[in-house]
Amino acid sequence: MGRESLLEVRNLKTYFYTEDGVIPSVDGVSFTIKKGETVAVVGESGSGKSVTSLSIMGLLDAAGKIESGTIIFEGNDITKLSKKDRRKLRGNEMAMIFQEPLTSLNPLFTVGNQISEAIKIHQKVDKKEAKKRSIEILKKVGIARAEKVYHSYPHLLSGGMRQRVMIAIALSCNPKLLIADEPTTALDVTIQAQILQLMKELIKDKQTSILFITHDLGVVAEMADQVIVMYAGQVVEYTDVFTLFKEAAHPYTKSLLASTPKIHEQTEKLQVIEGTVPNPNAMPSGCRFHTRCPYVMEKCMNNEPVLTNIHTRHQVKCWLYEEEG
Amino acid sequence: MGKYIMRRLLQIIPVLFIISFIVFCLVYVAGDPVALMLPEDASQEDILQLRESLGLNEPFYIQYFNYMVGLAQLDFGESFRYNTSALPIVLERLPATIELAVAAMIVAIMIAIPLGIWSATKKNSAIDVVATGGAVIWKAMPNFWLGIMLILIFSVMLGWFPVSGRGTWSHLILPAITLGTGIAAEMTRFIRSSMLEIMNQDYVRTARSKGLKEFFVIHKHAFRNALIPVVTITALQTSTVVGGTLITESVFSWPGLGQLLIQAVNTRDMAIVQASVFIIAFIVIAMNLLADILYKLLDPRITFR
Repeated sequence: MGRESLLEVRNLKTYFYTEDGVIPSVDGVSFTIKKGETVAVVGESGSGKSVTSLSIMGLLDAAGKIESGTIIFEGNDITKLSKKDRRKLRGNEMAMIFQEPLTSLNPLFTVGNQISEAIKIHQKVDKKEAKKRSIEILKKVGIARAEKVYHSYPHLLSGGMRQRVMIAIALSCNPKLLIADEPTTALDVTIQAQILQLMKELIKDKQTSILFITHDLGVVAEMADQVIVMYAGQVVEYTDVFTLFKEAAHPYTKSLLASTPKIHEQTEKLQVIEGTVPNPNAMPSGCRFHTRCPYVMEKCMNNEPVLTNIHTRHQVKCWLYEEEG
Repeated sequence: MGKYIMRRLLQIIPVLFIISFIVFCLVYVAGDPVALMLPEDASQEDILQLRESLGLNEPFYIQYFNYMVGLAQLDFGESFRYNTSALPIVLERLPATIELAVAAMIVAIMIAIPLGIWSATKKNSAIDVVATGGAVIWKAMPNFWLGIMLILIFSVMLGWFPVSGRGTWSHLILPAITLGTGIAAEMTRFIRSSMLEIMNQDYVRTARSKGLKEFFVIHKHAFRNALIPVVTITALQTSTVVGGTLITESVFSWPGLGQLLIQAVNTRDMAIVQASVFIIAFIVIAMNLLADILYKLLDPRITFR
């Protein structure tokens, strides 16, 4: 595991300044992505997964601001870069695939226009060359009649096809980091499998690192090397994929695993985690999970645990493991 | 597309038919024009004779029948004032009105597009507050008052532009500003709200994620989408614009259709009124058709059926 690290996020805090006050969507998140590695971020809606990825891409909307922390990409802290330098990274060194393929493409421009646009910005090639490369990449993402699709408008394509086009756009400039924000959530199960397979193939020999955001543990098992479990804007467990499925430590991770239906276990009722993710402007004191935790103790309510190593490369933020660490 | 336009053009016929009926009824209930046409000391006999010769003594349905027979041949009857067929007089005035309307639209677009985009992308900034507030105030300002103020300041006091009339470019500027800024006020608000909605769309984020410059994100990806509802609303506002030309033309003595129509109403020159309203209705309908065609050209998702 002596690979070089590509992205290091250190104590990232992203807050949203809204009319209802300051909302700490991401509150002290740290992790590392090595070259060629796939890191999955898992958590319920509202856990801060997407905001983490948008912070890395520099795509936060006007209300969102990186409050503190560093994002080191290839040795440089990109939170300190100018808007212009940040823009030069986007679509080039780091690219993103979004959750909603149906609305992520501009309805008024052809697929070709939208792919070659990215190529023209970063690779400084003429129109003809950009078209050639666009058609090549469309073929690579498994689109059969690439020439025809190049001239099509997005509304003529199916959801799976549109997500392939999105992947083509994201990979058109051979990014070093690909952020995939629930890229298969909106798709049929069979299409999901195809898209995941495609992503795996496309990055295999390119050493592309992936930050894969999902709430689907099945997808985690399929794709990830490392897994970050997020809850209420914080990392609660951070380990490799095998450890996670074999010996998950945090009560939240355990509940997540338990709530995933298993095909060989016939149960009447699905396991659920009682309650909901706390409202970000009214976070519970102490451990943020204590309101829903089956193992809650006295000290969980007032004292916040820290993320500690319980084994090599297995970090957990829970009082249950504090002594062992 | 040709087929679609043909069908839409055919649909215009029943609409014009209904409009012509309404116009006829309005004129019918408006009363007797004879009293205004003759000198005050005209004898009762003269009045009766004139009524007879104009066919005003016939019952409603006969008058309507005569009117429709004429209409079928695009004959709106003779103008009492000009003593010639009404339609050529109206058509002769049309270019002046179109010139004013087009100039006003250019003024409106030149103000509204940058201001609308600007206030949407800098939401809640000082520019936005001034632009939106200004638009509300401007919308509330009556055309005739603004026209008179502009004449007072720029023609009377500063002497930069002629007070009234038509002929050179300088004649066109004040009326075009009067009419155009009013339209711009409405349009700015539409563009702003349309842009605000579009800027939150996923594809705008996609455009940013490619590393596109913000200028292109806004003007290529967002604005093209924001334009679609704006085009529709603007076309539907043609009637408001026409209404605005009526007033603006009167203020600036602009020899267009509006001025002609207002004079005709005052003198109860019914043939002119009917012909003018008919032509205006036709323009409004034609603009709506144009909007539908533009809509299609702007949005590939819409197909002609």
